[in-house]
Amino acid sequence: MKQRIHHLIIKSSFILSLFALVGFTSVAAQDIEQLPLGSTLPLGDVSMEDISGRNLTLNGVKGDNGLLVVFSCNTCPWVIKWEDRYPVVQEIAAANDIGMILLNPNEDYRDKGDGMDDMILHAEKAGYDLPYVLDKNHRVADAFGASRTPHVYLFDSEDKLVYVGAIDDNANSAADVEEFYIKDAIEQLSAGQPITTASTKSIGCTIKRLGN
Amino acid sequence: MRVLGINSLYLWVLLGIFTMYSGCTDAPEDKNSTSKVNLLQNATVDQIQSHIASFSGEKPVLVNIWATWCLPCVEEFPYIMDLKSKYGDQFELVFISADFEEARMEATEFLDFQGVNFTTFFKQGKDNDFIAGISEAWSGAIPYTLVIDKDGVTHTEWEGKADYQDFEKALLQVIQ
Repeated sequence: MKQRIHHLIIKSSFILSLFALVGFTSVAAQDIEQLPLGSTLPLGDVSMEDISGRNLTLNGVKGDNGLLVVFSCNTCPWVIKWEDRYPVVQEIAAANDIGMILLNPNEDYRDKGDGMDDMILHAEKAGYDLPYVLDKNHRVADAFGASRTPHVYLFDSEDKLVYVGAIDDNANSAADVEEFYIKDAIEQLSAGQPITTASTKSIGCTIKRLGN
Repeated sequence: MRVLGINSLYLWVLLGIFTMYSGCTDAPEDKNSTSKVNLLQNATVDQIQSHIASFSGEKPVLVNIWATWCLPCVEEFPYIMDLKSKYGDQFELVFISADFEEARMEATEFLDFQGVNFTTFFKQGKDNDFIAGISEAWSGAIPYTLVIDKDGVTHTEWEGKADYQDFEKALLQVIQ
């Protein structure tokens, strides 16, 4: 009997939600080509709305020694785990004359927690003190081949991609990080040394692209 | 009593909806049967590789990496369970949870709710090595799915959510 009731509840939910679900079942597997190391920064002049109300471009945020781009969002638990390191990374980047910017590419989640108002609230709550822009229709994410949040890209002073991947090797605990990938990459870039680990991977949330 | 957050409730409601939507009504009636198996077993990537390799020469394997916090994962999960109900022992199903440790109980409850009555895995170890060990083609975004043929060769793999027809199409190419 209990199961019957349970099924009825589910069935009711199903009927009520049917219209909302129409068109929601198409193929959605991502087929994204990762920007190869050595590539030139794409779409540097595209204007994007920042949480400050200003419009920013990647070229405008760039520092003398390069640019750090982080595809991020408000809704991914992996971002939430990692974002306590955003200020640390920002400080390291600034100390090395590298600009840093967060881009939110989750176009399909604008009404599910990743709209501009949500971004403003999230930035305030999380204590962001850096540009956080809306990547409309995930245009920049597509050009970068970004697949997840967070997904980090470091460009040198000549706009060449020199590092792509994760912030570090431990989303769960900053105290237990053994390899601080992006710190090492920034410092090696600044010192004019080859970047020893130029590409890393981490688990993260798929970017919520339109049509997915 | 555990209090579910709004996000969790949303996931569970969606779960119910999608369970019906996909026609997944074949979950075992006897939920107690799941208590006899370890639904979520810790496993390193080496252990998972060995487990997958043990079916080489015997039957195809479908590997799905998911997490309770991942909405697309939760949405597609019933499709995969439907395929397991339909094709049974013609393929081996390997679920790997990428949940954080604090969500272990929620993941176990999710598996039980879905009618999973076999051992699945709980990811251990660093992401970079884990991802590389699963597939060079995987960037780390989840859900991630691999369909491996009877000879142990990856037939197809994809990142992101798929629908029932896509899963079935990929599976039929290796079980026939």
